[in-house]
Amino acid sequence: MHYQMGNSGSYPLLLLLWLLPLAGAIVIWAFGPQLKRLAGALGSAVVGASFVATLLSWHDGTQSVAGAGANLVGAHQALVSWLPGFDFGLLLDPLSLLWVCIITGVGFLIHVYSIGYMYDDKAFARFFAFLNFFVFAMLTLVLSDNFVGLLVGWGLVGLASYFLIGFWFEKPSAVAAARKAFVINVAGDVGIMFAIFMIVASVHSIAFGDVFGNVGSLSTPWLLAICICLFIGAAAKSAQVPLHTWLPDAMEGPTPVSALIHAATMVTAGVYLVARCAPLWSQNADAQLLVGIIGGITALAGAILGCAQWDIKRILAYSTMSQIGYMIMGVGVGAYEGGVAHFFTHAFFKAQLFLGSGLIIHALANEQDVRRMGGLMKKLPFAFVAMLVGVLAICGIPGFSGSFSKDAVIYGTLQHGHPILYAIGILTAGLTAYYMFRLLFVTFFGSYRGDVDPSDLGIRHPELAGTAHAAHDDHHGEHHAPAWLMNVPVGILIVPSIFAGWLLFGGEHSPWAQFFAQQFPHPTLPTPAISELTTTLIVLACVAVGIGVAYARYATAAAQADAVERLRGESVRMPALLTNAFYFDAALDLLFVRTSQLFGTIFGRLIDPQIIDGAVRETAFSAQWLGTLVRSFQTGLVRAYAFVLVIGVACFLVYYAVISGGLH
Amino acid sequence: MLPMSVPLIDYVALSSVIFFIGVAGVLVRRNPLIVLMSIELMFNAANLLFMAFARAWGNNAGHIFAFLVITVAAAEAAIGLAIVVTVFRTARHVDVDDVSLMKG
Repeated sequence: MHYQMGNSGSYPLLLLLWLLPLAGAIVIWAFGPQLKRLAGALGSAVVGASFVATLLSWHDGTQSVAGAGANLVGAHQALVSWLPGFDFGLLLDPLSLLWVCIITGVGFLIHVYSIGYMYDDKAFARFFAFLNFFVFAMLTLVLSDNFVGLLVGWGLVGLASYFLIGFWFEKPSAVAAARKAFVINVAGDVGIMFAIFMIVASVHSIAFGDVFGNVGSLSTPWLLAICICLFIGAAAKSAQVPLHTWLPDAMEGPTPVSALIHAATMVTAGVYLVARCAPLWSQNADAQLLVGIIGGITALAGAILGCAQWDIKRILAYSTMSQIGYMIMGVGVGAYEGGVAHFFTHAFFKAQLFLGSGLIIHALANEQDVRRMGGLMKKLPFAFVAMLVGVLAICGIPGFSGSFSKDAVIYGTLQHGHPILYAIGILTAGLTAYYMFRLLFVTFFGSYRGDVDPSDLGIRHPELAGTAHAAHDDHHGEHHAPAWLMNVPVGILIVPSIFAGWLLFGGEHSPWAQFFAQQFPHPTLPTPAISELTTTLIVLACVAVGIGVAYARYATAAAQADAVERLRGESVRMPALLTNAFYFDAALDLLFVRTSQLFGTIFGRLIDPQIIDGAVRETAFSAQWLGTLVRSFQTGLVRAYAFVLVIGVACFLVYYAVISGGLH
Repeated sequence: MLPMSVPLIDYVALSSVIFFIGVAGVLVRRNPLIVLMSIELMFNAANLLFMAFARAWGNNAGHIFAFLVITVAAAEAAIGLAIVVTVFRTARHVDVDDVSLMKG
């Protein structure tokens, strides 16, 4: 049976906002050398136009029309019909509208910021072509009305991510990181592919509407298998344990890339997938539990590892991983509005944190190690304000955006009956406060340590620790002020970083709940023993402890006085478990890379030379042997041939004359 | 069957003798000219049989076949002699056993 999703019709604006970034990417790619600096303006303009088109489509995306059975929410634009059940189209409903707003809105700001950040790069145009291509891929992902279209966008996004992580491909570490990200993401793509196989086998359609409408006809184990396969894709894209190891390495890309792709948009695709497939997950408690647990583990692991990093971008990368863990935990247990809200607020404050760190990195000539920073509050006051707002937001200080969404997720886990995930959420909130304030204190407080010998700070491998070439750079110590191109986007982001969360204020009557009223299932839940207000207070207590510990360790007068000695001590005493990120890399290496190599060796040494090559060799040998045998008959003696001929004729004669009874 | 002054069986006997002389010549002689002549003997043995049976059964098809065989024999002799001449030019002597380039 066919189920409609969205009000079908013709929506030229929807097509426009989807295809504009693709057109931008093609034009910039083709005419990059001619466009020169204009490439940045053009790239930003198309994404900005796309954002305007999104705002103009707001009414289409939120419309609700009475349909057969349920209301049709949002706009549906048919594109291509293929086999029965394989129709391709675009769907703009509140969920995809939210994502499109973030992709094009935050994307536009990051494009503008990139003009300043990448100004001196020799591949300036190529960067914007890739960035526009990424926006197009991400829009394809969230606007598709079917699983195959989603997978196409999913794959293109991975490709764009590969291009951008490896943007500085002269650096071997960037190339390795790009390859790693791509391979792990493709592993996730395969998971989604298998989910599509199972969906098509049982529902005979790829459209979201048909799949969600027929979910009741699926058997429980089959549904669980589909959910697990989908979640493999979500986990790979959203850096969930154990497929998260590519995200910290992905920080090899330029900082705007980290902000746009590896914080605000792409890595939240897994959250989108689970939220989009809410009708599937809502039918299967085991699948919900699995996703919730993985999300919780990721949130905690990311936060713990964030405490042990020195590279400013890697700290933010682990915090991203941890925050996405929150989102996945939220949408996993069924608190869809909370999980999606955390995506919404996180997109702003994490983009801001990355762009703020980009201001610092840019000003310090590519220095990324926080041990070699310090005392930047006076030198980079704007960056300090930007980072401070981001840190307050991510820590969930009341009034800042993060507090609303994070509390919604944490309280949601309790509402849906997962007290252990609730405890993990609260613990992680405390850890988050600790490592984010650690970042803030080490970077901006005390005195500047850029001229201290790296070994005095406990930096054992300066070239590996992100200290790059700062020590030998001619511009070292010369803090050129960031251009307005970089400051304005960061300044604009401060506003939603503070206020975006207020949309959640008011519980069931908040604008947020109204917006998603018809999007997600709303089961009636028992009132938990701990109220929402108490939850907020517990979280705040943990956050206060985290900030207190960070203050005591890094920001007291005593700590600032002997900062060099303390940082060296902490670096040297850091447990190997943490510096090796819980050995996830080693474990994956052992499990997949070594096993593949072992298989390769076995096949290379045994199966291939003996069985495959052996068969080929035996065929050749038998042909040769047959040739030798037949050749011996060819004597070259004409009279011998004639004799054989005569014998042959004689045999015929005898046959006809004697055996078949005469020649008549 | 028409009456014949010499009985048909005599023709068959003579033809067989000539034919086997030809076969023996092909098999035992090494001079290609003699071999070609032996082949001619076999052709003519066949011709003799055609004539004899055509006369015996009053059917002219045998005569026509005899002319056909003579034509083929002429062509065969032309090609055979050409081969002999070519072999003689390259090897300066002719012996069918020495012409064994195709030996495997």
